[in-house]
Amino acid sequence: MLSFTVRRLLMLVPVFLAVSMVIFLIIHLIPGDPIDNLLRTGSTPEQKAILTAKYGLDRSLVEQYVIWLKKLVNGDLGEAIILRRPVTALIAQNLPYSLALGGLALLFSTVVGIVTGSLAAIYKDSALDRGVMALILLGSTVPSFWLGLLMILLFSVQLGWFPVSGARNWHSLVLPVLTVGLGGTALVARVTRVAMVDVAQKDFVTLLHAKGLAPLRIQLRHVLRHALLPVVTILGLRIGWILGGAVTVEIVFARPGLGSLLIKSLNQRDYPVVQGCMLMLAIAVMLGTLLGDLIQAAVDPRVRGNLT
Amino acid sequence: MRQLTKAVLFSSAILFSAGLGGAASMSSAWAQEAIIVFGSNDVGAPTYNPVKATILNTATSLIYDRLVEQDADHSFHPHLATSWETSADGLEWTFKLRQGVKFHNGEPFNAKTIEAWIPLFKGTENEFLVGGIDQVIAVDDYTVKFKMKHPDANLLFNLASVFMGVPEPKAYQAQGDKFGITEAIGTGPYKLESFTVGQETVLTRNDDYTWGSDLSVNKGPAKIEKLTFREIAEESTAFLELKTGGVDMLLSVPTEFIPELQKEKSIAVSSMPGLDVMYMPINVTSAPFTDIKVREATAFAINQKEILSSIYHGVGLEAHNFLISSLQESKVDPKYDISYDPARAKKLLDEAGWKPGGDGIRVKDGKPLKVKLWTQGDSEFKRVTEAVQAQLKAIGMQADITTFDSSTIRDQYKKNEHQLAVRSYSWGNADILDWFFSGERLGYPNISMYKDAKADELDNKALTQSRNWDERVANFKIYHEYLLSQFPFAPIYQPMQNTAYNKDRLTLPEKIRGTQIGTETFMDMTAAD
Repeated sequence: MLSFTVRRLLMLVPVFLAVSMVIFLIIHLIPGDPIDNLLRTGSTPEQKAILTAKYGLDRSLVEQYVIWLKKLVNGDLGEAIILRRPVTALIAQNLPYSLALGGLALLFSTVVGIVTGSLAAIYKDSALDRGVMALILLGSTVPSFWLGLLMILLFSVQLGWFPVSGARNWHSLVLPVLTVGLGGTALVARVTRVAMVDVAQKDFVTLLHAKGLAPLRIQLRHVLRHALLPVVTILGLRIGWILGGAVTVEIVFARPGLGSLLIKSLNQRDYPVVQGCMLMLAIAVMLGTLLGDLIQAAVDPRVRGNLT
Repeated sequence: MRQLTKAVLFSSAILFSAGLGGAASMSSAWAQEAIIVFGSNDVGAPTYNPVKATILNTATSLIYDRLVEQDADHSFHPHLATSWETSADGLEWTFKLRQGVKFHNGEPFNAKTIEAWIPLFKGTENEFLVGGIDQVIAVDDYTVKFKMKHPDANLLFNLASVFMGVPEPKAYQAQGDKFGITEAIGTGPYKLESFTVGQETVLTRNDDYTWGSDLSVNKGPAKIEKLTFREIAEESTAFLELKTGGVDMLLSVPTEFIPELQKEKSIAVSSMPGLDVMYMPINVTSAPFTDIKVREATAFAINQKEILSSIYHGVGLEAHNFLISSLQESKVDPKYDISYDPARAKKLLDEAGWKPGGDGIRVKDGKPLKVKLWTQGDSEFKRVTEAVQAQLKAIGMQADITTFDSSTIRDQYKKNEHQLAVRSYSWGNADILDWFFSGERLGYPNISMYKDAKADELDNKALTQSRNWDERVANFKIYHEYLLSQFPFAPIYQPMQNTAYNKDRLTLPEKIRGTQIGTETFMDMTAAD
């Protein structure tokens, strides 16, 4: 298990380098220029040249990438061009909000997803199964932007239970968590249902039935347990989305967070901030995948041997 | 002069004490806090450092006072400067300063402040604001003299800009890069309590404030103790916050929201002329627009009245030239104004050799009159662009629309592949003409790709050779008229600045003074009965 973990960690190094290069190139290759967003009406072309030089944007892309990477190794993500602060400070300011929203939403979708998925599997082909799956399909296809507005209209405007927007207290977390969480629930529920239905057809389940165990006990103690393996893998992947999966929801609910920071900076082409945010999201996805792999390997010995 | 200042001080002291008496008797009726949502122009301001910032929001004008204030009619009024005069050659300006003014940290405001403040601009992006000033001399404690390198007729406009709010020079030096981020010290009616970039700014009342400008009835202190400014990027969310009482005021609301807002009993909308012009730049280097007749025809095809009534429900003004109507330089000879005239447009196209074709699209030398029309990706621009497309079709020009995001479109302009576009700008000074039509800024912001020796000469004269404000107005008017005759732009629409507020919570002055909502309005804002 230890050698598996080490090998898996070493694999992250080339992945990280490749990801950092892609991030850097993507943002620099899309049209647009942060200096245009920085300049005021009335400034001169000379001022633009001075600013371009100040932020090193007149150098070649390779040079800029090497400078960025060197700083990155020392934990320095650079200075925001438009927002004028260290990128690490901006990320530190926004990260807790993303973690709270993403973490709670993941928890919500895991619990609700597994419960509804199991129910649908246990009562397969019943009205309950069809009803739950239809609701889930609806939940996963409604754009979160629209779902968020609907939530506001119902729970804030009509019922007055929760604030419309902001991040002042836990009240303001409820609607965003529901909005993000409902989207994720669908995936978890479907995977749980399919896996349970699959496991239920295995020989050992037939044997358990033959031994006379109560069907519900078989489903919960044995089938669900085996079915959780793919669910865990999916959840590992979802961990990465904790940070970046809530962009539109953050904007609808006017919440701070990495997603909204990324979008605002992208619109202004604030390169260092965009690079910093994307890197954080990429790291989260990498770590999430790693965690999923490790859990899988811990549970299933066959996985450990397959990594070459 | 001294006498006058004393009289002013005395009367403001009386007003101040009267204000305090009032405060004691009706304090229960005063709102302790108002929550305000920044307008779209205010979103994303990274700092409250007026010297170094390139984006500042409305809260900045509450932290820092300026020497001079500008009213809605663009006239100048005293504030931290009680009076000023300029020499005949425009090379010397003398300002008398208000006495008894204190910064938030207790430091006095006087001529030494100005001496220390002006040089701070050196090497910053805002240096051009004081570019004409050669030397600042403190004549006595409350008189300061600017020796100029060259006449700068625009000096008062610059001094009235939010970028020239006066910071406390000692704190400014001591704080370095943190000034405006963790601390902001001015003389304004509110102090900065906290600032979280992109989220929230909290201001608390400056209880020592007694030096409100001529543009506010209340000279100080302000009536509302605490102001919280929030950034909400999504306009529908901001609207719902106002509707549910989560916030008290939206500094700017799009015109399309007004009918919806008017349905709400508790919400009032206050509108004032804006600083924006929506227009269509015409790329003069791209055929068929190299032919001035085609440009003229295009400009006269725009039906300003129809766009105002059908898209903006009649809220706002038609635009007939390149500047906002409240500027004196926009009052050009009427023969230069551009107003919808389809017959003239069609006649011009006929003269230019573009003859009506079979499918309604004009043809010349076997080529149809097809052009590119670019726009930005929000719904308001899209709707105006579609209206423009239909209006161009009516004179036989087929315009194909392409939509870009706002950062991408700037780079696209630099490639010089564009022909027509729908855009808008926000600026309250005629020097915007230099910004858009100077031969030095081709591509962006000179999207019309307009370079003309005579225009550059008129521009240069207006910009650098005007000795005083009146001369500058006259020179810019000539430049403006010349540009209008060349059709590098087609004017479309001038929006209003709309502010919406909860009238059960707040009362705003009937008439909003200043060029936009700022210190004056917040000084006179009270809690509703």
